Amino acid sequence: MSDNSRVRVSIVGVVIVALFASLFARLWFLQMGPEQKLGRVVSTLSTRVIQTASPRGEILDRNGKVLAQDVAAWGVTVARDLGPKTRARVLGQLSEVLGIDEKNLRANYESDRQSPLMPAIVALRVPLAQQLAIREHREDYPGVNVVALTIRSYAYDGLASQVLGYVGEIGADQLKQLKSKGYQAGDVVGRDGVEAAYESVLRGKPRRVTVQVDPTGKQIGPPVRVDPGTVGDNVKLTIDINVQKAAERALAQGILAAHTFQDQSKEAVAVGYKTLQPTGGAVVVLDVHDGSVLAMASNPTYPLSWWVGGISNDHFALLSNAGAQNPLLNRATEGQYAPGSTFKLVPSIALNQYNVLGASTYVNDNGSVRLEGTTFTNDNGIRNGSVNLQRALTVSSDVYFYNAGNDFWKIWKLDPQRGLGIQQVAGQLGFGQPTGIELGDAAGRVPDPTWKAAYAHANYKTAKAKQENAIWYPADNIFAAIGQGDDFVTPLQLANAYACFANGGTLWTPYVGQVVTDPMTKQVVEQHAPKARGKIDIPPYTYSQIAGGFAGAVSDKAGTAYPPFQGLFVPVAGKTGTAQIKGKGPTSLFASYFPVGNPQYAVVAVVEQGGHGAQTAAPIVRQVIESINHLPPTPIPTKSTGKD
Amino acid sequence: MATITASAGRRRTASDTSLFAHLDLALLTLPIAISALGLLMIFDASRHETALGGLARLYYVERQGVAVVLGLIAMGVTMAIDYRRIREAWPLVYLAVVPLLVGVVVLGRNHNGAQAWFQIGPFQFQPSEIAKVVVVVAIAGYCHQHRGDLDAWRVGVAVGLTGVVMAIVYAQHDLGTMLVIMVCAAAVLVIAGLKPVHIVVLLLLAASLVGAAVVTGKVHSYQLDRLTSFANQSTPRVPAQDQTPTQFNLGASKAAIASGGFEGAGFGRGLQTKNGFVPEQHTDFIFTAVGEDLGFVGGATLLLLYALLAWRLWRIALLSSDFFGTLVAIGVLAMFAIEVFENVGMTMGIMPITGIPLPFMSYGGSAVITSFIAVGLVLNVHMRRFS
Repeated sequence: MSDNSRVRVSIVGVVIVALFASLFARLWFLQMGPEQKLGRVVSTLSTRVIQTASPRGEILDRNGKVLAQDVAAWGVTVARDLGPKTRARVLGQLSEVLGIDEKNLRANYESDRQSPLMPAIVALRVPLAQQLAIREHREDYPGVNVVALTIRSYAYDGLASQVLGYVGEIGADQLKQLKSKGYQAGDVVGRDGVEAAYESVLRGKPRRVTVQVDPTGKQIGPPVRVDPGTVGDNVKLTIDINVQKAAERALAQGILAAHTFQDQSKEAVAVGYKTLQPTGGAVVVLDVHDGSVLAMASNPTYPLSWWVGGISNDHFALLSNAGAQNPLLNRATEGQYAPGSTFKLVPSIALNQYNVLGASTYVNDNGSVRLEGTTFTNDNGIRNGSVNLQRALTVSSDVYFYNAGNDFWKIWKLDPQRGLGIQQVAGQLGFGQPTGIELGDAAGRVPDPTWKAAYAHANYKTAKAKQENAIWYPADNIFAAIGQGDDFVTPLQLANAYACFANGGTLWTPYVGQVVTDPMTKQVVEQHAPKARGKIDIPPYTYSQIAGGFAGAVSDKAGTAYPPFQGLFVPVAGKTGTAQIKGKGPTSLFASYFPVGNPQYAVVAVVEQGGHGAQTAAPIVRQVIESINHLPPTPIPTKSTGKD
Repeated sequence: MATITASAGRRRTASDTSLFAHLDLALLTLPIAISALGLLMIFDASRHETALGGLARLYYVERQGVAVVLGLIAMGVTMAIDYRRIREAWPLVYLAVVPLLVGVVVLGRNHNGAQAWFQIGPFQFQPSEIAKVVVVVAIAGYCHQHRGDLDAWRVGVAVGLTGVVMAIVYAQHDLGTMLVIMVCAAAVLVIAGLKPVHIVVLLLLAASLVGAAVVTGKVHSYQLDRLTSFANQSTPRVPAQDQTPTQFNLGASKAAIASGGFEGAGFGRGLQTKNGFVPEQHTDFIFTAVGEDLGFVGGATLLLLYALLAWRLWRIALLSSDFFGTLVAIGVLAMFAIEVFENVGMTMGIMPITGIPLPFMSYGGSAVITSFIAVGLVLNVHMRRFS
């Protein structure tokens, strides 16, 4: 080594001694000298309340199987206040570390369904290793947080979606109403179905933590105050998930099969359909003795998990675009359909109650009848010969009920009260008004002269048109008798009416929520008591005639539903329905109850544009009944059987 | 007479049989001792972080422990290779690290980011850390090759070699590491015989570069904030909510150290440390935990350990049998000295805040392993000085 270098090395040594000396000196002054007082200064910090939602209660089926529950999951959030460049960089880095396509992360970030007030949740269920990779490099991920979230989890995802309903961020209107109950923006609430109906019990009391924060908003030190909050109560439903599953599967299979059917209806042929184009349907299973809902299926459907963590725009489009046929809609409670011949239950009771056509009176059915100057024909054009009430129900003779409707119209001109017997019985069976189910439902419609006048007044422009269209024609009453025209029912109403008839005349309020329990103490908080809404008097003879007619429809060789139920050992009573819809395929309906001697359950299936009742709806009902009786399902035929 | 003979005899036999006879035991022991203290302090300082994040209590300690073990192995490997072979192969060493450095930048670019690490299983490896040692080796190797003949052109080459690495590290937003590399290279060059006129030119160049960076806005606002907070701390006390984050950090850090007093609050008793008032406390601000919990006694002892480390490195720079050994020892000495001075100085408010780790103390695997490799290099020089 040269002397020059030696000198320079020595100089370096001196510099380093100086550096260390200054560190020692500084340490001494800071800890032992005048600045020691610094340590005694307590920083004045601002506080902030962090409210975190407590887990929602669980939703269980009638056998205690958990359908929906909150589970803990680690999520990755990205702050809203990042500049576009930083945000793109952060999402790019997250994509790499999480192994999720950057497009998906951006879609989550930009989803309209996520709160703009809260950091966006871009990934859920993040594994520990990746959480740590992010945590350890905070400086590389500005605005990114790894947070513990509770998310809704569905053990039977895709089943009973419309019944359970989804959870989502509280809407602005809802927030205004619920603010007094401690809700705040960004809170998750039940938005539909059971989740919404039982929001007040399912929701847990939120955990509130008061913390000190530094100027950047970062938490410092332990929380100042903690209100622990409580978990929400559990709700046990009357739904049996196995029956629900069978109902949904049968409905889906039935709709699929209907796509292969030739559409023979005049209406459909006129607009050029070749095969049926069903757009959806519903199945309802009710316990006839208390109105509890065993299963409630609606098709098309979707998995509730789509909503978890904020639904993506793509998924939302699948739920909301026109071609999707609105999977969010619970067709069992909100779908309103012309009931077709299933409505004949109503005139059947009415004409006995108001003594119009006696139950033993025979009518000659030549396939058509001329009434008040108009010819009314049977939908299928078949001549059924001489029919009484029982036979008319079995073979679905429209002519018999055209006569009944016409008779009521004639009476109406003399005695408006008695003449509207069909409408009154419809009301007693729960049609034309919501059933009162806690999920909420549509009212349907039972047309009568008052309604028609009001409707004409509201929908026609000229005074003349208003006047002309307000007139209650015979045809109005005649079509009302066979469930065509302006009648609208929901599948739930239909099932409830058949349940009412089956149990001998008690109209129950249907319900899905059975018991509310506290998950901690296991104590029952609320027990649902079945509520009777009304009672309709059905004399034994009338009952046996109608019940016999329904049983015949399934078991008599001439019965409209004989083919689809052939070989089923469970005695079923039911009525097919085929409602003609202008410009569309007919609505396929089947309303039933079983077992015949001692009815337990009412089962209804409705398929939009599904063809004949016996074609599509009846085989669906058969599968549901088989499932309740633990029988193997009979495959739904893919060619037309039976007639209406 | 007898003593001299014995001594000479021991030396001769030892050099013939075992290199370990010339192992600098003090230099070997010091990093291990500091690392042990580091593990303790990480355990102490990470309690708030682990509690907030829901991590296992020993999470950081375990990972740092793994890094220390890996560091010791890396040090052993470094010592096993004759440093003169490293001296000859310096271009290879240099060329090996550049693709790594470029790799992370490109990787980050592809994802719109500037990421500074590779993911290897559960660990992340930061090439910019090892780049510090590589620059020291490369510049030392180059200067050794042209010893006594360091003209302006060759100084230019050496500056270029350093500049390339600094530029890539800067692209990763790692300003602190860039400065450390600059200081290391400068120290090596000065010892290598940089002429006074070159020193002046280089200083002017550096000053104008910094000036240009500030004027053109290439320095991020948070970086400026850090620099200015250091300068602005004598202003009257600002309420907590009105402080910039850096002012707040600095205040919290100084308050924590000051509250330690002479003997400290006791291990695990420091309130500010326990409650997480000081940010990044298990990494860059670990000295505050030492200051608060162990007081002046602990802080001064730690500084003393670093001073001893510096002395051993300096001593080897003088003892080295070749010029390369001297230069490497000086480079490593400069690296540790600037890191300790900058890091400890920043926690006490006499240096601006940058993200430079405290050698062997701060949580961070890449830094620990790099520090051990650096010590291994110098040990290598020492134990082969007679062979």
